[in-house]
Amino acid sequence: MHAVIPYVIASLLFALGVYGVLRRRNAILVLMAVELMLNAVNLILVAADATVRAVLDGVAPEAWAYPVPEPRSGAIFALFIIVLAAAEVGVGLAIVLQYYRLHKAVVIDEVVLDEHDHEKQVTG
Amino acid sequence: MTVADALMLALGLIAVGSGVLVVTSSHLVRAGFYLVVSLGAIAGLYLVLGAEMVAWVQILVYVGAVVVLLLFAVMLTRAPIGPSRDLDRPIAPAAIIGAGIGFGLTALLADAFRWTEFELPPPGNAERVGEQVFGAWVLPFEVLSILLLAALIGAIVLSRPDLGARPDPSAPPPEAPHDPIDESAEVIARLERIAARQAAAQARVRQARADQRAAEALANAPAPEPEPADPLKQKAADLIFGAHDARPKIGEPTAAEVLDSRIIQGESVVQRDEPIPARRSIEGNVIEGDLVEEKRPRPEREKLEGRRDRPALPAGDDKTDEKKEQ
Repeated sequence: MHAVIPYVIASLLFALGVYGVLRRRNAILVLMAVELMLNAVNLILVAADATVRAVLDGVAPEAWAYPVPEPRSGAIFALFIIVLAAAEVGVGLAIVLQYYRLHKAVVIDEVVLDEHDHEKQVTG
Repeated sequence: MTVADALMLALGLIAVGSGVLVVTSSHLVRAGFYLVVSLGAIAGLYLVLGAEMVAWVQILVYVGAVVVLLLFAVMLTRAPIGPSRDLDRPIAPAAIIGAGIGFGLTALLADAFRWTEFELPPPGNAERVGEQVFGAWVLPFEVLSILLLAALIGAIVLSRPDLGARPDPSAPPPEAPHDPIDESAEVIARLERIAARQAAAQARVRQARADQRAAEALANAPAPEPEPADPLKQKAADLIFGAHDARPKIGEPTAAEVLDSRIIQGESVVQRDEPIPARRSIEGNVIEGDLVEEKRPRPEREKLEGRRDRPALPAGDDKTDEKKEQ
């Protein structure tokens, strides 16, 4: 098995995520692009978990690097990142919905950063 | 080129292709569904790479929860169903940065792993992952659970504007409660008129209640005692009217007649009851029950009565009783 395939797929997905975050104006589409980036990182972690042993052929393993005899740390990291992504999506969508309730829009390049929400509410 | 390589290439093509559609589609909802396809293909890549547990968690959490949440948000923000024109910014900077990152990362990783071949590791099942999570990684696991709780509370607080809202320091002070009396002379005059009408109505009700109470007191007062009559006159009246009351009346039966009728009646009861001992044993001495039942057609009983030619019937049939006596 060629180790380069999953890595290239993951880097392409990450680039697509960056492109989506920069290109899209809708906040929900930006969140979807962020999901793509997180998945690319997960894919790199899982691929590294399977391939690093082969890459490090001939390198003496450090004792502290393997707390358990058969390391699957990449999968564990991937699970943790999935949980983090779920929490991120929950909070992010709460913010998006609250912003929509105040401004009736989810266009993120029209967000005025140096303005108080209260003034916006009173005037608009 | 092994089967696993081909599988990974195909799944990677699906993932990258639908990822491209996610970031270029002009339909919001379609972008969500392309994201489902992309995440599913990545789950397949996890399976090929031997991370079975991660693949199923990916399908459960991402495809099952995160995308559903995103589609919910799409609907809650009243996104248009058809294509949207203003979803995108100018393409140049995003394309340049994205292409740069893509090329850079691809070149870096391809150079690092170039033609490295690796043996497919034994598929990691949930048992091994569980040992690791609750062995070496138990502290991050607990921290992660607290983070999930914090995210939960944060999402709830964010989505409720009434929680933790601070008053704006620059906002004008809250206005005093609205007082209608301050408004105009017309309002004051109207309020005074209303108050006068209410006072009049209350006085009327109070007057009516007082009148009613007085009438009740008058009615409940003890009637004045009649004057004691002259004892002599009273005695004379007793003598006259008492005699008049005591004389025998024309229509009424005398005491002797009443006694006689009573005897006849008692005899009739006994005579009638004797031939039917079974019934009497059942119903005891309750004669009234007998009488009610006698109204129903009962040929034997009627024949019996007709043969004896009994004049008196008990109190249930007063009219027939009188007719027969006459």
